[in-house]
Amino acid sequence: MSEVILATVSVSKHFGGLAAVDRVDMTLHRGEVLGVIGPNGAGKTTFVNVITNLLPITSGQVYYKGKEITSWPAHLIARLGVARTFQVVKPFKRMTVRENATVGAMYGAGGRGRSAAQAIRKAEEVLEFVGLGDQMDKQADQLTLAGLKRLELAKALAMEPELLCLDEVMAGLNLRETEAAMDLVREINRRGVTLLIIEHVMKAIVGVCQRVMVLHYGQKLAEGTPQEVLNHPLVIEAYLGQKFARRQAMGKA
Amino acid sequence: MSNLKPETPNLQSKKPMPVTRWDRLLGTRRNAVYLGACAVVLVVLLILPHMSLSGFVLTSLTTALLLAVRAQAWNFIGGYTGYAAFGNVAFYGLGAYGTAILMTKLHWPFFLAMLVGGLVATVYAVIVGLPVLRMRGQYFAIATLGVAEATRELVSSPQLSRLTAGPTGINLPFFRPAGLSGAAAAEAGSIFFYYVAMGLVVLVVLATWWLTRSKLGYSLVAIREDEDAAKMLGINTTWAKVAAFALSAFFTGLVGGHYAYWRTFILPEEVFNVRYTLEGILSAVLGGPGTILGPVVGGGIYDAVSTFLTFSKPFGIDLGQFHVTILGVFIVMVIVFLPRGVADFFGRRKLSWGMFLENVRQNRV
Repeated sequence: MSEVILATVSVSKHFGGLAAVDRVDMTLHRGEVLGVIGPNGAGKTTFVNVITNLLPITSGQVYYKGKEITSWPAHLIARLGVARTFQVVKPFKRMTVRENATVGAMYGAGGRGRSAAQAIRKAEEVLEFVGLGDQMDKQADQLTLAGLKRLELAKALAMEPELLCLDEVMAGLNLRETEAAMDLVREINRRGVTLLIIEHVMKAIVGVCQRVMVLHYGQKLAEGTPQEVLNHPLVIEAYLGQKFARRQAMGKA
Repeated sequence: MSNLKPETPNLQSKKPMPVTRWDRLLGTRRNAVYLGACAVVLVVLLILPHMSLSGFVLTSLTTALLLAVRAQAWNFIGGYTGYAAFGNVAFYGLGAYGTAILMTKLHWPFFLAMLVGGLVATVYAVIVGLPVLRMRGQYFAIATLGVAEATRELVSSPQLSRLTAGPTGINLPFFRPAGLSGAAAAEAGSIFFYYVAMGLVVLVVLATWWLTRSKLGYSLVAIREDEDAAKMLGINTTWAKVAAFALSAFFTGLVGGHYAYWRTFILPEEVFNVRYTLEGILSAVLGGPGTILGPVVGGGIYDAVSTFLTFSKPFGIDLGQFHVTILGVFIVMVIVFLPRGVADFFGRRKLSWGMFLENVRQNRV
């Protein structure tokens, strides 16, 4: 198997007495697409926040390409080649769409030594790719939700990351928009970007991910191919409750 | 091709216009209009001192120019970066004291002393900024306010009186052009300080223009709009904020140095007066924070209104005693109806009462 790009060892994040992420081990190989699923409040977003050090880690280690990056300043982790999007989109509202993506192109992994003009060109290229090519001069707060999700993606891609964490980029999109987003995600992976995808839309998980990890109350509940995980009794129980799981198990027997 | 709806521009099919050399130099046509207007204002400002104006008018104009620089300097941290700094008077005072001490104790020439005075303020901003810029919102505002007060106490403390002369203040040498004396020297001095102030305005506007095109400028606006997102895109937010604060301090310090030599006498209570901070902020908000020319225009408007209220007697009524009250009402009106300042007038297709009402609605006043 190919090189391990990201590894977490017993990563925990506590908020007071609550363990939002509880001793999670994970490895992610270059070129892989890993889905992270779990009920609301399972700690998926917190997990990504801790990896990218938007929130300080409580305990455990994070390794990127074999190098320990635990508690590195967030901007340095970003410059190493780790990009992410936010579940609640965070556009720079009073900037144009072009300027939004330009910031990513200026400061991401590919930003070093790039002039402002070169960064703008890179941003335009990425905006064309995600399908915002005709809206580059719009103010970011004039985009639709689907547009804002694409903008989140464009900002992250403009950084030229090797690892991209997508936090529910498909939530709130209609069926057609979801299909388009899935195509986009597949194409990003085909271009060599490793993906960690947090998603509630099961169709997207099954259609895009090679491997799925389930978090429940901050702990890793199960891991495997999408089919394995979705039929796992513990996962069914976590999502649909004990009663349903028992009834389904009896029906199968 | 049929053109049924000529008034709706079709963005998709818009072909790029041919680029000429003038286009590249001037950008769009609107930029050309702005540049032209700036050139006219600049020429008028250059000619003004030779129109045999009274000393009062020239002093007022110089004050307005200095306010414009302070407003634009605040704009770096307050307008572009979105950090409401309420302690810029500390940089003003340090610039004034730095210049005064270098000119009196070391007999440095004015321009060099002013430059180093500005740099003293810059270094101070870096030292203070590193801890203070970790705070956001009102906490940052109050912290900077406290730092400014503490700085005044420090400068006026008896322990430092051998350097700063403590609460007694410093007398600076007079500006003496060679071969002139009496009234002629005073007039030459007024003109000299007017032009230096004007030079500072040009300098700070050019610096802002450069900033809006630079990587630093992009990172500052990104921090203003969403600091977490900025961090995640690889921006060293601490460094960028300190840079904006330092830039703000540098120009504010230069103005302080100018003021010290112009007035020839400085006191801690005077050059560390919180009034200077507030004037700068109000001017920037009046003109349009986060724009290249807004704060400069705002500084002019603020000073004009303030001077008018202080010295004019319309219909025989002395407004002097209500000066601050009326100014306050004026500022509240501007913030309610034009929250983005005078800059709100530009970039709109037409002006109407609806625009004001929309502003009021949007800000839920």
